[in-house]
Amino acid sequence: MKREFTCIVCPNSCELVAEIEGKEIKSIEGALCKRGDEYVVQEIKDPKRTIATSVKVIDGEIPLASVRTTKPIPKDKIFEVMEEIKKVKVQAPVQINQVIIENVLNLGSDIIITKSVGIQKCIERVNKEVVAS
Amino acid sequence: MKQQYDVIIIGSGVVGSAIARELTRYEFKIGVLEKELDVVCETSGRNSGVIHAGFNNKPGSLMAKFCVEGCLGFDKVAKELDIPFKRIGKLVTGFTDEDMEILKKLKEQGDKNGVPGLRIISEEEIKKIDPNVAGKVALYSPMTGIVNPFIYTIALAENAYQNGAVFFFGREVVAIQRKEECYEVTTKNNEKYYAKWLINSAGLNSDQIARMVGITDYTIYPCRGEYFILDQKASAYLKVPAYPVPNKKEGGLGVHLTPTIDGNVLIGPSAEYLDEKDNYAATKEVMDKLVAEGTKILPQIKREHFIRNFSGIRPKLVEKETGGYADFVIEQREEIPNMINLIGIESPGLTSAVPIARYVVEKMKQKEELKENQNFNPIRKGILNFTEQTDERKAELIKENPNYGEIICRCESITKQEILEAIHNPLGVETVTGVKNRTRAMMGRCQGGYCQTRIAELIIQEKQKKVEEVIYSRQQGKMFVGGVR
Amino acid sequence: MNIIKKDAVILGGGPAGLAAALKLKEKGIDNIIILEREKKTGGILRQCIHDGFGIVRFKEALSGPEYADRFVQEVQRQNIEVQTEATVIGLTNDKIVTAATKEGLKKYQAKVVILTMGCRERTRGAISIPGTRPAGVYTAGVAQSYINLKNIMIGKKVVILGSGDIGLIMARRLTLEGAEVLAVIEKQPYPSGLPRNIEQCLNDYNIPLYLSHTVTNIQGKERLESVTVSKVDEKGQAIEGTEKEYNCDTLILSVGLIPENELSLQAGVELHPRTKGPIVDENLQTNVEGIYAAGNVLHVHDLVDFVSIEGEKLAESAAKYIKGEKGYESIIPVTTDHTINNVVPQKISGEQDVEISLRVSKPSKDGQIIMQQGNKVIMMKKFKKLNPAEMIHIKLKKEEIQSKEEIKVVVG
Repeated sequence: MKREFTCIVCPNSCELVAEIEGKEIKSIEGALCKRGDEYVVQEIKDPKRTIATSVKVIDGEIPLASVRTTKPIPKDKIFEVMEEIKKVKVQAPVQINQVIIENVLNLGSDIIITKSVGIQKCIERVNKEVVAS
Repeated sequence: MKQQYDVIIIGSGVVGSAIARELTRYEFKIGVLEKELDVVCETSGRNSGVIHAGFNNKPGSLMAKFCVEGCLGFDKVAKELDIPFKRIGKLVTGFTDEDMEILKKLKEQGDKNGVPGLRIISEEEIKKIDPNVAGKVALYSPMTGIVNPFIYTIALAENAYQNGAVFFFGREVVAIQRKEECYEVTTKNNEKYYAKWLINSAGLNSDQIARMVGITDYTIYPCRGEYFILDQKASAYLKVPAYPVPNKKEGGLGVHLTPTIDGNVLIGPSAEYLDEKDNYAATKEVMDKLVAEGTKILPQIKREHFIRNFSGIRPKLVEKETGGYADFVIEQREEIPNMINLIGIESPGLTSAVPIARYVVEKMKQKEELKENQNFNPIRKGILNFTEQTDERKAELIKENPNYGEIICRCESITKQEILEAIHNPLGVETVTGVKNRTRAMMGRCQGGYCQTRIAELIIQEKQKKVEEVIYSRQQGKMFVGGVR
Repeated sequence: MNIIKKDAVILGGGPAGLAAALKLKEKGIDNIIILEREKKTGGILRQCIHDGFGIVRFKEALSGPEYADRFVQEVQRQNIEVQTEATVIGLTNDKIVTAATKEGLKKYQAKVVILTMGCRERTRGAISIPGTRPAGVYTAGVAQSYINLKNIMIGKKVVILGSGDIGLIMARRLTLEGAEVLAVIEKQPYPSGLPRNIEQCLNDYNIPLYLSHTVTNIQGKERLESVTVSKVDEKGQAIEGTEKEYNCDTLILSVGLIPENELSLQAGVELHPRTKGPIVDENLQTNVEGIYAAGNVLHVHDLVDFVSIEGEKLAESAAKYIKGEKGYESIIPVTTDHTINNVVPQKISGEQDVEISLRVSKPSKDGQIIMQQGNKVIMMKKFKKLNPAEMIHIKLKKEEIQSKEEIKVVVG
């Protein structure tokens, strides 16, 4: 049986064709690099994805800090991981690479901060006074 | 609290707001009921922004009288209200002998109405006035001017407010009853307002308001006009409003090109009778037609210059079959005391608003002696436009107030200070389009792509609102559903 | 007003501007400043929280903020002057830059002005969708900013018009945040975003993509209530009778990006009608001497990695100019036909190797890019597939250039 894939590893987006018999992959064609072949193997056996979203930052200079998985997680766990991330609130300041969930749902991936967020200053209040006067 | 007023004005368009302002010259307690969340949501804000000279209207009509008066007196009003106004003149262009005859008649009509300076000019002179306007012959009107209809109406309302008039938004009038020498006005949210005098300046809905007091002989026929707004780059090709010879039947002035006071160009309006009074949709047919006609009149215009379209609805008193114009109706009936009805105030309503308001006051004076308000102040200060200032002045402004140093709307160079002043406008309007109509932010080529998020954020902060309470323009027009986290 | 003298004033602290600044510094140009309108540098990357950035440059998949941070940190380490919350409001052809900041109006006299302002989104007006104007119609970038920066959720039932990358990314983003994305509608017969984004943003979440369809009406007086979607013919005209209505409260427009060149125009910089960015030579210099452009303000890129590279390339030639080294004069026009959407640079010298960047107009398989002078083919490169979503970068060697005659780049 032939199955087609679009590799998502890099922007080349290689179009791949795999020849599959039962559970065995006979051949993979179309990849510009070996990562394409690895992608197909994984996609057939245990499709995985990375996800990126945000967490609430308390007292942050901005309200959200972006986060991502450090390693791909099983595709069918995406929404469960999202639920875990939604539960998290962090206190400013937060640093890039800071781990906010270790080994999320035992899936082998951490959730890390991808944007440093400092503590909110009182600038807004000052501005308001200027308007009022 | 019982809402008791001397006068209640229904409708806060340009006419309602002008009446409110004119009435604050006297000792009156004035309440204005508006069904939308701001002034200028309907006809008053949805037009070409032209202060007409008054040659299009029949001699002897109220339209002719008020239009000429309004135009001649506009400099004073503009100065008092601190609003930009330019008498840039206007060309009505023709190509054929037949057109020539119509233009001559228009001039004759204008002369009779008392419009100063009208001239029939040759192709050569047309080119001198604006080299890009095509035409073999034209009627040139030097008195015609342009104004920002949003700012004008807002300024009238704000000045009325400063002088004591109270504005209520989101108050749609659903019933009127006369009780003991007094009108009881019920709004959709079930509030009751009482007043001795009632003024119906409800524009598109003025026929319905009239019916609530038993006047059944008027029907407003909504007639939609669609426009395209062109990028300021297109204004390089057009100096003055250029109109075709009017087509009597259409009941509009024909698709024309108008430079706006803010430097854009408008193409439109079309004319299409509708069944609904608030269907502001744009249609593919008309949009295609406007692009075709606009590029025909000004071939330099490119597709990329079209940045937005909008439509307005004329409150016409004539049906499609009749065509043309009916005169303004401004009446006070003996059997319905202390009520003034203004019906069919369509073009040139923007130009005529102040004379109409004065006329309304005159009518009231016939019934009641009015006591002058000694504290009336005709001067209103607008929001200072940062980008129009010299560099030296800009530097000073920032020094005085750092909020001028923060540009929020990139396309129109609108500063945070201007946005804040708009958010804290005297009328208490809280919508996103309220800020837009007061500052021009989000009106530029990126249409809010850069600044809308910032403005929404400022509204939330300044007005201490929940995210889901931010309204775009009309009631229930919620921008957001809540927070992400 | 006090005029501050600078070797280089960089307009915009996004990826192109940051990369240009670092390279200038490396080349020994110290008296430079980055003017950035936001509170922080990093540009649009700050709101692109998805990953996939930096694969070319850093050989790892970073999120937008992480990618930006690498440059931001380095700029800090190098002590490069950055003025944030500074909006440039004036640029002249003799390179006087006026910026509004909270501390005051600032004027700079620059030897070199570097245009790295990025791009803006095309709007509803630009594509003229008929219908009403309710709340709930957002461009993809605005939606992204609300959701990823402002913590504001914009709607629950969404239709997306346009299959550009930001639209696709937003389809996934909205789905992850609990919204229902009913469909992505694309007017062209092929998607405008990268195939990997179709795969991981739409297919993964079972979001249907309708090619050769467009939104033909918008309904709703207050908040959006529904949109009408119709099939289009080869000319892009809606086919009557194919209308389908989607009840939704949100319409996202992802219908293209336009380089943001209002300031460039003020200075008399000539723009190219196809890229909508400045016409540049092989040094990325515009027609105004000393004014250079790189990144999305020059032409809209697909990958940020190449934006950074372009910024660096610009800085190398700008540094030479600042030092007074005379470069080659670019006199060979580089042109194209309908098979190619746009090509940068538009003129070269022929005296050194150059990189030509281009986008094809239509997708095809097993095609080739041909460069010719007169009837002579001077370069030919084969591609397994050609896709307008991807910018193609081709090296043209000095030896390959035959004469000073125009070079035409076409799909063969």
